[in-house]
Amino acid sequence: MRRMSEPAPDPREAAFLFDLIRTRYGNRLTPEQLEGVRRGVAAVVAQSALLRAVRLSNADEPVQRFVPFRADA
Amino acid sequence: MRELAEAIRARRLSPIALTETFLERLERLGPRYNAVVTVTRERALREARRAEAEIAAGRWRGPLHGIPYGAKDLLAAAGTPTTWGAAPLRAQTFDTDATVIHRLEAAGAVLVAKLAMVELAGGMGYRQPNASFTGPGKSPWGPDAWSGGSSSGSGSAVAAGLVPFAIGSETWGSILSPAAYCGVTGLRPTYGRVSRHGAMALCWTLDKLGPLALTADDCGLVLEAIAGPDAHDPSAADRTFTHAAGDPAGRRFRFGVLRGVDEGAEPAVRAAFTRSLDTLTKLGTVEEVTLPELPYDAIARTILFAEAASAFEDMIESGTIAELTAPEDHYAPYARDAILAKDYIKALRLRGVVMREADRLLARVDALVAPGRPATAPPLEGEFRSLHRPALDPMGAIGNMAGLPAVAVPNGFSESGLPTSLQFMGRAWADDTVLAAAHAWQSITDWHQRHPAID
Repeated sequence: MRRMSEPAPDPREAAFLFDLIRTRYGNRLTPEQLEGVRRGVAAVVAQSALLRAVRLSNADEPVQRFVPFRADA
Repeated sequence: MRELAEAIRARRLSPIALTETFLERLERLGPRYNAVVTVTRERALREARRAEAEIAAGRWRGPLHGIPYGAKDLLAAAGTPTTWGAAPLRAQTFDTDATVIHRLEAAGAVLVAKLAMVELAGGMGYRQPNASFTGPGKSPWGPDAWSGGSSSGSGSAVAAGLVPFAIGSETWGSILSPAAYCGVTGLRPTYGRVSRHGAMALCWTLDKLGPLALTADDCGLVLEAIAGPDAHDPSAADRTFTHAAGDPAGRRFRFGVLRGVDEGAEPAVRAAFTRSLDTLTKLGTVEEVTLPELPYDAIARTILFAEAASAFEDMIESGTIAELTAPEDHYAPYARDAILAKDYIKALRLRGVVMREADRLLARVDALVAPGRPATAPPLEGEFRSLHRPALDPMGAIGNMAGLPAVAVPNGFSESGLPTSLQFMGRAWADDTVLAAAHAWQSITDWHQRHPAID
């Protein structure tokens, strides 16, 4: 596990994602609320950039085991 | 609680009289702290009468028999409103008890109240104390001091002597925060130690239920009653828990302190923590430790936000969140649509790395110690972020995403009389160790014996 090179969050990504959210929900939000959402999206994108900056190996599995269900098991 | 239990067992104290005492306090004082949603008077007296009859017949169920308690209002109690702290859900009821409620009833405990909480356990992103239809929770230690959250009522009710113990929940901070701000003891058990069946889900892989009480010993007694496997909750581990108070005088502990863990904390918190480290040398050794540099907060937040967005999908998509109390809860959740699936899965992969690193460290020490919270209780007005406090919470992020147990205990006061707190965080499934450490701490200090002026 090691850090990748750390690109700064791409502002276009935040803008694109905010546009998506504004398309979905914009008609129910005030301009001030939309500005709050925009800041929230920027924070999410910044957060995601931190995660992406850490390189993992193929063997590093997600901690969310899938177990097939059987009622009488 | 052992004193109450012995008095009840010896029939020197009537469970009915005890229950009526706490019902009266809840009804009279609960509103002062915005601590109570519903006083469950009818159920409480029924359970108290049963307890009294059973004990009179020689059938003592154990140390919780006849002891009143409050439950955070995200726990279903049959026929009683279970509001999740949210105005749109004031009338919500469930037909069956949550497993924790059921187990406490089986232990003979008496449910006297559903306690106030931050709406939806804070999952919509609240940024100030007034985030519940019951009003901002108030710490009994100051007229303008927030009780902490999201288990607001659980903290203030115990601190004000309205209940001997309460059940709270923690996804990230919601037991330790009210324990710290209300000057009581709070236990966040290992994830999976206690069934979540019948409890509102905020984040399925971070939510934990646990007790708040005046002492670590009391918390241990409650954990023993509520822990264990549950067919209704696949995440509840097939492990029972036996609480042994033990002799705190004999044991020596190895404590670790994460480098820089108190940086950015309020001066009163740092001073109390420094004094606490000195005191802890009477119980064992204290050494500085480190963990790899990782984006702990970002990992935990990604998991929390993504799962919360799904848990409350209906309320968000329908726009019902516009009826919540905190203004920011009306819009903040929409931003979580920006979390991409690939990033959520990356967070889960990094979670595994964190869990292994934390376990490697905790295999060498009995507990990590840190301030319970970086600040004393904030004022009731104003946003949290306007205050000087560190932006990151590595102990909270690591402890909660790795499902680790932690106990918060009082360790001092600020100049303005607000409590400060110390936490012990242990290895997964070492709930007994963190309780033993907290119990040992309380055997050589008296912070937990100080109570706010109420009546």
